[in-house]
Amino acid sequence: MTDLTPRSGPEPRPGSRSGRRKWLPIVVIAGVLVAGGVIVTQFLRSAVDYYCNVDEVGDRSGCDTNRRLRVQGVVELGTVVSSGGDTDFVIAFNGASFAVHYDGEPGGIFKECIPVVVHGRFDVASNTFMGDRVEVKHSDEYVSVNDARLSEADALADSCETGTT
Amino acid sequence: MTAATTPTTAPVEPALRVRSSGTMATRTLGIATIVTMGWLVAFGLGFSPADRDQRDAVRILYMHVPTAWLAYLAFVVTAVSSAMYLFGKKHSLGFDRVAGASAEIGVVFMALTLVTGMLWGKLTWGVYWQWDARLTTTALLFVSYIGYLAVRGLGGTHDQRAKRSAVIGLLAVIEIPLVHFSVRMWRSLHQEASVLDSDGDVDMDGLMLFSLFVGVVAFTLLYVWLLLHRSRVIAMEDLLDDQGLDRALDQRRAEFL
Repeated sequence: MTDLTPRSGPEPRPGSRSGRRKWLPIVVIAGVLVAGGVIVTQFLRSAVDYYCNVDEVGDRSGCDTNRRLRVQGVVELGTVVSSGGDTDFVIAFNGASFAVHYDGEPGGIFKECIPVVVHGRFDVASNTFMGDRVEVKHSDEYVSVNDARLSEADALADSCETGTT
Repeated sequence: MTAATTPTTAPVEPALRVRSSGTMATRTLGIATIVTMGWLVAFGLGFSPADRDQRDAVRILYMHVPTAWLAYLAFVVTAVSSAMYLFGKKHSLGFDRVAGASAEIGVVFMALTLVTGMLWGKLTWGVYWQWDARLTTTALLFVSYIGYLAVRGLGGTHDQRAKRSAVIGLLAVIEIPLVHFSVRMWRSLHQEASVLDSDGDVDMDGLMLFSLFVGVVAFTLLYVWLLLHRSRVIAMEDLLDDQGLDRALDQRRAEFL
């Protein structure tokens, strides 16, 4: 009867191809665990900045004016003023509004009548939200530029609605 | 025990003589995929209009949305195949190979979703990344399936590989509803669905919607084509492993003669 029990071969030399292949899945799994931890940590850290609508600031629990917030609202028509690398505008939502001072020039498709999310703190003395990051929030509507030109006035009026949700 | 003591040359398995994973059906499917991809380029970059707000950045969505949907589908196929392996009477390794192949393709599609989403985000939101609910859960889903693939590569027998990865495949798929509904469960920078949303409305221009449809068809054909080829290649790799073991056993038997 032939002995067919597994025979232990020589250990792969460090740095050899077979050695690397053996450790690669373990290294990847460790990397996955670290990446998962970083993702969850970053999400939780980001969630510390409460996400509030303009009308909820100072009103809803968690949207206190003495803490860092993310505020969502629509940029009001005719309020955007850029000077010296800073940008001032007014955001509104559900009938409420306040001024925003942003230390920079917003990127993306920032313009009047578009929803934005501003990160920062509320300055009660000047009744102004001091933003350090502005993100443009695109709606779930996709309108052809040609259709928009045909009814530009209507489109502008629609896009400048300050929302109720 | 003649078979155990007589050295034999292991017969070459018919499948190992095959030099290609292609058949007439996959070649036809491949041609259909190329043609549909051509349509996608024509509609996505040519015929479809620019968006009122996003302008030409909207064209990124014809790749971003289909790759996201197909990644979901790929991970669901992985879960179903894993269940078929685990709970089937025969524990057929064919299901495990389909599960592994589908997860690999899903990871590639999910990576494309993340990259195209970041490019679109920079052009539209003004930032590449934001730790909001949709983006974070998508990143977590992507990393989970990289982990799934790493576990498949841990070694052992084909059945050991199939069992441990099937359990992970069934657990990881639970993340998909979390990703999809994250924009409704939490306030998110990411917009809600424009197609297949909860109220059944389609908030999209007709030609844009058609371009998106062409994108879904093109990437679905690509997914099926890749799945067929990759699962066949995994079957060939398994056969090579098995034959390598047979050869090693034959060599050991020969030493005793």
